[in-house]
Amino acid sequence: MNFHRLMTSAFLVTWLAASLRLSGPVLLAALGETFSERSGVLNVGIEGTILLGALASFLTDYVTGMLWMSVLVAVLTGILFNLLLAWMYVTVRASQVVVGLVFNVLALGIAATVYRRALGESSGPQGVPMFPTLHIPWLSDLPLLGPVLFGQTILFYLTLGLVVVAHFVLFRTSFGLALRAAGENPSAADAAGVSVARMRYTGVLIGGATAGMAGAYLVLAQIGLFRESIVSGQGFIALGIVIFGRWSPWKAALAAFVFGASDALQLGLQLGGASIPPQLLASLPYIVTILAISGLFGGKAVQPAALMVPYAKD
Amino acid sequence: MKLIERRVSPADSPLALATAMIIAVAAAMLVTSLLFTLYGANPLKAYFALFHEPFATWRGFGYTLVRTAPLTLIALGTILSWRSGFGYLGFEGCFVLGAAATTWLALFTAVPSWAFLPLALSLSFTAGAVWAGGVALVRARLGGNEVLISLMTNYVAILILQYLVSGPMRAPGSVPQTALLPRAKWLPFILHGTRAHAGILLALLVTVVVWMLLRKTPLGYELIVSGLNPSAARYGGINVGARLVIAAFCAGGLGAWAGTVEVLGAQHRLMDGISGGVGFTGIIVALLGRLNPLAVIPAAVLYGGMTVGANAMQRRAGIPSSITFILQSLIVLMVLASDIFRRYRVKLS
Repeated sequence: MNFHRLMTSAFLVTWLAASLRLSGPVLLAALGETFSERSGVLNVGIEGTILLGALASFLTDYVTGMLWMSVLVAVLTGILFNLLLAWMYVTVRASQVVVGLVFNVLALGIAATVYRRALGESSGPQGVPMFPTLHIPWLSDLPLLGPVLFGQTILFYLTLGLVVVAHFVLFRTSFGLALRAAGENPSAADAAGVSVARMRYTGVLIGGATAGMAGAYLVLAQIGLFRESIVSGQGFIALGIVIFGRWSPWKAALAAFVFGASDALQLGLQLGGASIPPQLLASLPYIVTILAISGLFGGKAVQPAALMVPYAKD
Repeated sequence: MKLIERRVSPADSPLALATAMIIAVAAAMLVTSLLFTLYGANPLKAYFALFHEPFATWRGFGYTLVRTAPLTLIALGTILSWRSGFGYLGFEGCFVLGAAATTWLALFTAVPSWAFLPLALSLSFTAGAVWAGGVALVRARLGGNEVLISLMTNYVAILILQYLVSGPMRAPGSVPQTALLPRAKWLPFILHGTRAHAGILLALLVTVVVWMLLRKTPLGYELIVSGLNPSAARYGGINVGARLVIAAFCAGGLGAWAGTVEVLGAQHRLMDGISGGVGFTGIIVALLGRLNPLAVIPAAVLYGGMTVGANAMQRRAGIPSSITFILQSLIVLMVLASDIFRRYRVKLS
């Protein structure tokens, strides 16, 4: 009985720790996407942006071995490519879903082509240096809570910090108010002297920065190498998290944790040799996301009123 | 005196559309040329390698048609669903489920050969229709976001495929794939000396049917009205939710037929990675054809040919075939961006 309890608590600790670890990248991407959607732009292109951020951080790390430099390059890559996306969304006023979707194909092409160019056709997967998990004296040694909350990488704590910053900026600053106005009622915002275009560019670029950083998180704190399938829908899952989190940063953190928990659960069951086929277990996070945004739970999701509606000033 | 002046509404004459299109394609090819030089290749030679085999050789053209068939079917599915206001993106999933259902029927049942093809088409269509119809039901009943949900369903379907080919349907051997389909179940080859198969005829037939449906029938009219203005459609007595489900059924079924055609005509077995992104390229083809069923054929031939040419280019010039993803997506992005030019006119006087 005692042994059984020990086993279950060990499983619980591993599971919760992994849940937090796996929720990091989707949470980062969802935070920036919250800004983008609050300004009125649904950026489906974050899937591709994460991929390009992952590639940029991998290559920087591979060449220089400098971890923070790799994060920075990933963020800049995200911003650069999302400048193109923002131009298509805001200035050209093209269909947002279409542009984002086609951009993801473009990003896949760029990632595959550049990766092969940089590392050669035949070489196997190359590992790169990663962020270590922190050991905070005393705190990390706490039973149960220690390994779960205080045994993560620095990027995880940075992400948690960004949740607070995002919430503050979005709901407690005049910039946040202007951004939300651009997404709720662009004509009124315009009449009040807010540049809707500038707000939407800013929203999309913030989304690009965090999506690029999410790519760096995947490479530098989770996997340690690059492959074309590294993102596998996590950008789309981040879009789902924004909906399930009702366009609020801290609720997005909770939603991301639900995703992380389902992903960690399926990994744990796979490793534990469950009798369910591993491929079917692997579909769990996607099914959880589908259920979360299906409208079955949590009442009606009210999105920003002008989401996906291009705004032409004249 | 301003040289460039804003138009009241974008120019939409055929000439303006064609000019914008040509500028867009040229711009995309120019950017891709820079990538070719990155690989130390002469862009002209690279483009020759890309387009010569699929369009100027008989055998290569056969392969082009092989690639065209599934692209056309998925593009038509896209048109049906998108024009009905159902932003479905789950064709990758429908494709693999259709392919899996067809392979199961061919390998694991004893259907008489005369009944095989009709049964395979019905089974596959049903599988895709139910898969996409489920998403439509969620959208119509619960108000869930079909764009994201359908994207998620792709990953679920691909994992189901991986399970099938590594578990219950796996043939002995080191590769996760099924056994080869018996020759009698293959689609007939239609052009002597090439691999072009009857699937392209099915794609052509469906093109005409979809065009007729949208252009000439009351149902097509109702679908388009539901897509353009759901509230007006509802006011006019159209059951928008039901139309949505019908559109989703057809879209999913056509996506699954693309998988059937690929298995019976080209691969002749089921394996992991059989879709290779065709579910998304098909959507891009539909967009290039501006959601017009008849324009899908040339767009699908062009993109199918590029896929064939990409492999030739990789063999001959050492340029990775992934570069065509860049070219294919850039063309559509540029076409979308070229709309901005149509908002202005040049004043020469």
